[in-house]
Amino acid sequence: MTLTLALQLLVNGLVNGGLLGLVALGLALIFGVVRVVNFAHGEFITLGAYTTFLLVTQFALSPLIGIPVAFLVGGLFGWVVHAVIVSRMTGRPELDVLMMTFSLSIVGLGLFALIFGGDFRNYSEGPTGSIDIGGVVVGWRSLTALIACVVLGAGTLLVVQRARIGLGLRALAQNRDAAAACGINVPASERIAFSLAVGLAAAAGSLVSLIGTTTPTVGHYWVLDGFVVVVLGGMGSISGALLAAFAISLVNSFGSYLLDDAWARIITYLLLYAAILLRPHGLLGRESAS
Amino acid sequence: MSDTVMNPPAGSMSRGNRSDAIFIAGVIVVGAIAMAQPWLGVSSYFLTLIYYVAYYLALGQAWNLMSGLTGYVSFSHGALAGIGAYAVVLSLNGNLPMALALVVAAIATVAASLIIGATALRLRGTAFTFATLFFQELVLLLVRKLPFTGGSSGLILYQIIPVWIAYVMMVTVAVAATIAFALTRRSRLGIRMLAIKSDESAAAAIGIDSTRLKIILFCASAGIAGLVGAVHGIFVATLYPEVIFSVDLSIVALAVALIGGVGSAAGPIAGAIVYVGLREIVQVVAPGAHLVIIGLLLLGIILFLRDGIVPAVGRLVSRKGSRSSTSGRQS
Repeated sequence: MTLTLALQLLVNGLVNGGLLGLVALGLALIFGVVRVVNFAHGEFITLGAYTTFLLVTQFALSPLIGIPVAFLVGGLFGWVVHAVIVSRMTGRPELDVLMMTFSLSIVGLGLFALIFGGDFRNYSEGPTGSIDIGGVVVGWRSLTALIACVVLGAGTLLVVQRARIGLGLRALAQNRDAAAACGINVPASERIAFSLAVGLAAAAGSLVSLIGTTTPTVGHYWVLDGFVVVVLGGMGSISGALLAAFAISLVNSFGSYLLDDAWARIITYLLLYAAILLRPHGLLGRESAS
Repeated sequence: MSDTVMNPPAGSMSRGNRSDAIFIAGVIVVGAIAMAQPWLGVSSYFLTLIYYVAYYLALGQAWNLMSGLTGYVSFSHGALAGIGAYAVVLSLNGNLPMALALVVAAIATVAASLIIGATALRLRGTAFTFATLFFQELVLLLVRKLPFTGGSSGLILYQIIPVWIAYVMMVTVAVAATIAFALTRRSRLGIRMLAIKSDESAAAAIGIDSTRLKIILFCASAGIAGLVGAVHGIFVATLYPEVIFSVDLSIVALAVALIGGVGSAAGPIAGAIVYVGLREIVQVVAPGAHLVIIGLLLLGIILFLRDGIVPAVGRLVSRKGSRSSTSGRQS
């Protein structure tokens, strides 16, 4: 393997890792603040992908506009879903909550299949061409996706770490009762976290539609990798999730080249089981975060 | 399993034993009636319906045995059944006798389930659920890639086995799985499991080895799922990996229990009947919308009925009963 090839694979892995990072960031946010494992996250990715696809093909808009639109549509959806369904589950056993998000995911999968059929959809609008940096060819589409991921991810981290809202979210993630006792509005904070995370998922979906094809199950496959990432990174740990996102993507990128896609995924899953065996609380997870 | 339980109040125990005995007798009678149907001139459409009720019931009970008793949700019982189907077809094609092939299928499934049992079940909480979710994908990828599974083009059973054999076997498995669940729930193991479900730390504190028990129960649950899948493999005789390992079957396994009532022996029976009935109606009224409808039904049950049809009906009956004959119950 030449150096150029290795760099090429590295770049591909980075783009993938950025997207996966966005997905995992949302999952970690929901798990940390709302204490819900969101199995419907993938369907919100698909929602963003189809939103962008429709904007581009029906309204002749640039896919770049699709990214913020998908973020807003996703955020709105997240708000409504939390208000109508998720918030009703407060205090219910973990099993019920798991089943609830899983049922939501089934409804989403069914709806997308019903509305859009199984076709593979893509569009040619938006950034085209590629640039050549010392033999490493990077498509403008991939580069756009990577930049958007960095902007969205950094923006979210900024909100969580610096803004007043973020303080409430972090307090909730650390200790619910103490946060509530200090006057933090728990339902409102939960809704903000859920809405923000779903917005991120939809924005990621918008980028997925830009660099790949859109199908009713596209989000389902992304979120499976997202779950690999949050388990590996330690449930609810944001830095662990980002680290794991890039690690998984690099394994996939090099694995796909050296063997093939399927074996790369098989290796990813086997590594995951090994990691659960050796480091049960994730790469950066703490013993207490169970 | 012996029935010496940790000293419950004598009255409640004997009442529990009696209602269990009635339930088990009822299941056997209904099973025997269902088994006699092929010789009573029933239409083949109706037989297929009964077959699918038995199929989903058996799988739902397997799921119930693990997830209903411990609260550890499995999303991979469909994949476990698929392993059983592949194992039985490979064994029969290798000229093993039927009984041995079924044993091989159950053992293969238990062995495969150990990848989850040995890793994720040592942990508490959602790690197990994730591990089962990945398992579903991992198995499909491996079946497409491994040399002896026929890859994407699938696998065909060479022998021709009459459909009634698969039918009788499936009803038998469904009855056995239901009885096994009812007995396990009342046994020492089942009571320990319920302790783990309600508070795992407290259960560990009174000396319950939760990891060991969870692994034992998951192996048993996987073995039943493998057997169910094996019988279904004989029934369909042609295995396509995308069909056999589709997520749908794993959804059915938990949907059946969730609709009827998680952790109750009668729950999956009601759930399987409702599910098969609903599926038949949906196929006529709104083909293609079955996932949406199942998903909405599950959501509705979780949000409004909370714990399925059977417990909800039970509450309704006992409320009426206690209103009309409070004095009778007190004595």
